[in-house]
Amino acid sequence: MYGRRASQLLKELSSNEKSQLTAFNTDMFGEVLKECNTHHLELQSLMRKIQEEGLDMQTTRNADHFGAVIHHLSLMRNKRCLMAYAYNRAEVIQSLRWMVGPVLPQEIQAKLNQSEKEYFKNHSAALEAYMSELDLDLTVDMVPPKDPYIRVRLLDDIGDDVVLDDQTHNFVRHSIHLLKRTDAEQYISQGLMEELSG
Amino acid sequence: MELGSEEGLGISSEDYDSLIATTDVELLKRAWRNEKASPEILQFQTSLVQRSREQIQLMEDTVEEFPKNCTDPLTVSLYQMDLDRMLFVLRSYLRTRLQKIEKYFIHISKSDLWNRLSDQEQKFAKKCTDYMEKHLQRSVLSHLPYGYQSILRQSISSEEDDMVPEPRLDTFVFCKSKGSVGAFQLDDSGDEIVDLVADDLYVLRYKSIKSLVESGQIDLV
Amino acid sequence: MAGQSDPHLSLFSAAEVEFLAEDEMVEIVPNMKMDALNFICGDYGPFYPQLTTEVPLWLAVALKKRGKCTVRLPQWMSVEKLTQVLEAERDSPREFQPLPFHYVEISRLMFDHARDDIPDMYMVRSLIEDIRNVRFHKVETGLETISARTHAVKLKNLSAMEVNIVRPFVVRTLQAFYKHDSPQMIQHPDGTANRQPQVADRGPRRDLRRR
Repeated sequence: MYGRRASQLLKELSSNEKSQLTAFNTDMFGEVLKECNTHHLELQSLMRKIQEEGLDMQTTRNADHFGAVIHHLSLMRNKRCLMAYAYNRAEVIQSLRWMVGPVLPQEIQAKLNQSEKEYFKNHSAALEAYMSELDLDLTVDMVPPKDPYIRVRLLDDIGDDVVLDDQTHNFVRHSIHLLKRTDAEQYISQGLMEELSG
Repeated sequence: MELGSEEGLGISSEDYDSLIATTDVELLKRAWRNEKASPEILQFQTSLVQRSREQIQLMEDTVEEFPKNCTDPLTVSLYQMDLDRMLFVLRSYLRTRLQKIEKYFIHISKSDLWNRLSDQEQKFAKKCTDYMEKHLQRSVLSHLPYGYQSILRQSISSEEDDMVPEPRLDTFVFCKSKGSVGAFQLDDSGDEIVDLVADDLYVLRYKSIKSLVESGQIDLV
Repeated sequence: MAGQSDPHLSLFSAAEVEFLAEDEMVEIVPNMKMDALNFICGDYGPFYPQLTTEVPLWLAVALKKRGKCTVRLPQWMSVEKLTQVLEAERDSPREFQPLPFHYVEISRLMFDHARDDIPDMYMVRSLIEDIRNVRFHKVETGLETISARTHAVKLKNLSAMEVNIVRPFVVRTLQAFYKHDSPQMIQHPDGTANRQPQVADRGPRRDLRRR
């Protein structure tokens, strides 16, 4: 059936979680491109035939005319699918700049084709240029800021001479402190402190 | 206040905003909310962004001076929080616009939306278009038969650009009017009239209130 | 874009709605002396012990966390007021009572950070919870009245968090009605179709013409 492969290509795309990429499906993509060219050849030969028979395409409706229309429409549909595939992937790829940074890890790189890798680099550079012209990094502060300090309670003795943020703290069990979230996180994850609210 | 007639007097939305709002923070927050909630890109708030950046710069300098003046850490941390909040709104505002440019650059560069971009945004949009075009040429278009290689049209028999993503202006938005706008016509035929009362919340088609958003008479929420 | 919500449906993340709520003003009673704060967002203070002053909620929470003040319960959060609001919400099935636009977030921030400043904390919390539920039920019944003829919906007194919750549903519903109502299909519904870069099928099919 005409156009089936192209729709499979898109199904593959849409079954991915948003912003998740699978490897570029070079084989299927190539197949669809080949299909496009086959449609074109068929289309051209039908057109030639119509011309040779001296039929007026605007007025005559014969089997060859409709055959040609079907090849034309199938070709356009395939083109839309291929473009959608490439374009939607490109959108995910450009969003990686915000999530991952200017250098993509190997396992993501492996999923991109050459043109996509280049696109990422180019788009990333465009963004970089924008930000440096503005002299403002837009890749930080993605979520609203919170108080950098949190209140914590010690769940265990840590020591009476712990220096954080140029201040010496007496970290004895059950004592309550106001610490930078970034400083406290290591202790919280080790189960030595708990964050207090209220 | 008679708001409906002011458009004719050439009062821009920025002027209008500064008439009724108090601080640049409020104005920037409003610009941020409107930008986030509107489907198409709005006018870049040039002078507001510039003023905001100056205030941020001034505050960053002040905060840097604090340790020398022996300001207590409590005060320093509070000033830092104020600064962080302002920076977040500014960054998110600029990001939201970039997000729209990344999505609709072709449409934007073909229409008068182009004039709504800042100089830097225009440069960015131009590059976006170039790079995407290059990528699509290389991946798809150059492999297609003659007559089907346009990035804008499905084929050369298309009568108009039918492959350009456009924002949906007929989408519905939540909005609140600042002053009373009065009876407002929602559709072209004039059958649908709504009386927009100040501070009430409405869900309307963006298309029908576009002009009110652009003139600053209504806020998206 | 990472960290930012889907531009079409949920425009503001819960964290962003809370961020906006943190700019609402509340009264605090400081227990220390501190010079005025000349912020970008406005001037607050000077602060004197026992002298009530007005500050944005984020500042109130920050001072509270550092043990520098007590937060005064906003008037609308008193048991008496909330009881009245709850009754009125129940009595008028078609209307929402006026409450601060950010009542959900303000009350939550108060519960999280100023618990000891709220007399009858549990009562207040359960009243807010009940009010939210009654209002939400009203939103749901109200949405059932949306029809193909709906060009505009007025939601007087709906709060920020409520807007955020109903937005995806209302927008999708109205769009669906609008689309089926309009003579010409304008765009595909949600799903893969509208992730395509092109607007397909716009207008009637064109015949193949000679090149």
